[in-house]
Amino acid sequence: MAAKINIFDPPSSASSESDDGIDVGAEYLEILPDAEIDGDKHGSQKSPKCRRQRTTSLSHQSANKATTESVIRTTHRTIYTAGRPPWYNSEGQKVEPFVIGICGGSASGKTTVAEKIIESLGVTWVTLLSMDSFYRVLNQKQHEESHRNEYNFDHPDAFDFEILIETLKKLKEGRKVDVPIYNFVTHSRESRTKTMYGANVIIFEGILAFYNKEVREMLDMKIFVDTDADVRLARRLRRDISQRGRDLEGVLKQYTSMVQPSFNHYIAPLMVHADIIVPRGGENLVAIQLIVQHVHTQLQLRGLKIREELAQAHAFSGQPLPDTVKLLPTTPQIRGLHTFIRNKATTRDEFIFYSKRLIRLVIEYTLSLMKFNETIVETPQGVLYKGKRMATDKICGVSILRAGETMEQAVCDVCKDIRIGKILIQTNLQTGEPELYYLRLPKDIKDYKVILMDATVATGAAALMAIRVLLDHDVQERNILIVSLLMAESGVHSIAYAFPNVQIVTTAIDPEINEKFYVLPGIGNFGDRYFGTEYS
Amino acid sequence: MTSDNVKVEPLENNYCKEYKRLRLLQANDQTKELQTILRDKNTTRSDFKFYADRLIRLVIEESLNQLPFTDCKVITPTGATYDGLKYKSGNCGVSIIRSGEAMEQGLRDCCRSIRIGKILVESDFETHDARVVYARFPEDIAQRNVLLMYPIMSTGNTVSQSVNVLKEHGVKEECIILSNLFCTPAAVETICTSYPKLQILTSEIHPVAPNHFGQKYFGTD
Repeated sequence: MAAKINIFDPPSSASSESDDGIDVGAEYLEILPDAEIDGDKHGSQKSPKCRRQRTTSLSHQSANKATTESVIRTTHRTIYTAGRPPWYNSEGQKVEPFVIGICGGSASGKTTVAEKIIESLGVTWVTLLSMDSFYRVLNQKQHEESHRNEYNFDHPDAFDFEILIETLKKLKEGRKVDVPIYNFVTHSRESRTKTMYGANVIIFEGILAFYNKEVREMLDMKIFVDTDADVRLARRLRRDISQRGRDLEGVLKQYTSMVQPSFNHYIAPLMVHADIIVPRGGENLVAIQLIVQHVHTQLQLRGLKIREELAQAHAFSGQPLPDTVKLLPTTPQIRGLHTFIRNKATTRDEFIFYSKRLIRLVIEYTLSLMKFNETIVETPQGVLYKGKRMATDKICGVSILRAGETMEQAVCDVCKDIRIGKILIQTNLQTGEPELYYLRLPKDIKDYKVILMDATVATGAAALMAIRVLLDHDVQERNILIVSLLMAESGVHSIAYAFPNVQIVTTAIDPEINEKFYVLPGIGNFGDRYFGTEYS
Repeated sequence: MTSDNVKVEPLENNYCKEYKRLRLLQANDQTKELQTILRDKNTTRSDFKFYADRLIRLVIEESLNQLPFTDCKVITPTGATYDGLKYKSGNCGVSIIRSGEAMEQGLRDCCRSIRIGKILVESDFETHDARVVYARFPEDIAQRNVLLMYPIMSTGNTVSQSVNVLKEHGVKEECIILSNLFCTPAAVETICTSYPKLQILTSEIHPVAPNHFGQKYFGTD
């Protein structure tokens, strides 16, 4: 299947850089495996300050070829096949990502092996985490030592295992993490961090990857790259002298006094923990093929079919609606508006106009569900007035693209200066599964009440994925409101069952879903009708 | 939430019981906040306009609920049938200058090409006597349902004069719906007694009317 062989730039998949500003870096755009981005092949690796930044996920090479292959063009539509399939089951509970650990001496070819694995794995949403990110910040004295090539970067004490374990643990739980960016010139952490989220496979590599017991226990597969000491020294000389402008004497001094003893003392003994030892590093294609096969088997065992399961699981009607469902009172206006937007004969101009009115009403209604405090204000008439004020101003909107985007304007119209995040989820037409393509959320979203918007909810598959993404970003479940114009009864039950504290707001609930997962009687494909992209 | 409001203002419920043609916008914390912001003397002008427009939109949407409709069935793109409804045509808006004009945009946002007439009423500062000095309506207004827009009612004199003008033009009293944001108990009594068949929709009945509305909305204070 095409989806399997396509790789696109992963920063995409998983990571982006964020400065300390309001928003995450523009790099996230690459998650769209669209041909238009191929001018930008460097993915998230464009930090000019960093000499050595390997916390990214894929090699440049594989990024290049990916862009075109992940797109299938048919006569009618363009299909993208590189989104992230569900990483949780139909109850919204998560399945852990597969973590591969790669250990080996300095310049043994760990990164090459990692890149080769990613390339042949053909799975998108792979995160490459390098131990280099977790070097300790050096004090003045150590800084001077490092200048004289006397600081031992190959010793376990040079690493901050505490942060490393915490990061790896969170990644394994599927949560969003901020990975430090280590600056090899100043030997300190940069104020920026790199955001990683949403990997199905995590590759963790480093010279002492197997040193810590807690770290070892988190690895599902342990690979030791065993390269001849002479080859490693030769590579190291070439790298340090030609790429890092160091002198021969210094490199040799460092090698004999620290790198070599550390390898013998700390790194080589770690080989006993390995599941597989790869001699000669990245050239060893047979070993890499074996590893890839094993990972594929493991991933398939964890594979999930969400959508069908959802449609069947709660397809029975007649159950009372959950308490978390807030249905707008069905006034004549609401029914009148539905009559317009549901009618297939309605022109697009009218469809947009009446949709907007309905959206405005549902958003106003959503705001009335927030918490309010009593307050007393002075009036120009000189009397006091007992009123209410919203208890929080931390509200943000998140739209599920594409149809949810149509609701953004209404949120901006009722909440001044509200922040809007976006999540692109599209159905893979081959598997029928929802896939996550793109994600951009306000910083500190965990402290916000989130109005999650999608125009229609049928099976609830996309909504579940979006809620899962928010939870992975540490948003509280009770702070999420999923808002839509129309929901199918089964979708409502699926969401309420998986996430009992999420509030569900809608203007109408329809009883059925057809085999194409459209709601009945429904609206049709809301996004296509609104944006005029339907085909006949 | 709603029960809180009932406790605070039993006044409004009593009026609704007494006058069947009087309706209040469904009260919730959100509408209460909008009213609070409009009442607060420290609200900036830009905020005032922003939140006034929101409240107006809600009142207009609710007013449209009072218009007559018939049932109808439509076919959805999935081929299924939806039991919907259709509003009867032959409606129009009439705004009372000047503050009523603040509500025109809200009406336009809901009904794009609706006809809108205007009435200018001058009132005497001392005696509160009101006098119509200008009125311009669609030609066939006698056959239409009229959404009369005026946000603040303190004595009800201005609205009374406007309703009289409409009736002179042949509009039936039961075809007039008054859209209003804030009104005083006195105004409710005056209007409901004088025009028992007229429908009123408001968001709040309170002894003190926020008379600064027009000035603050249009920025002439």
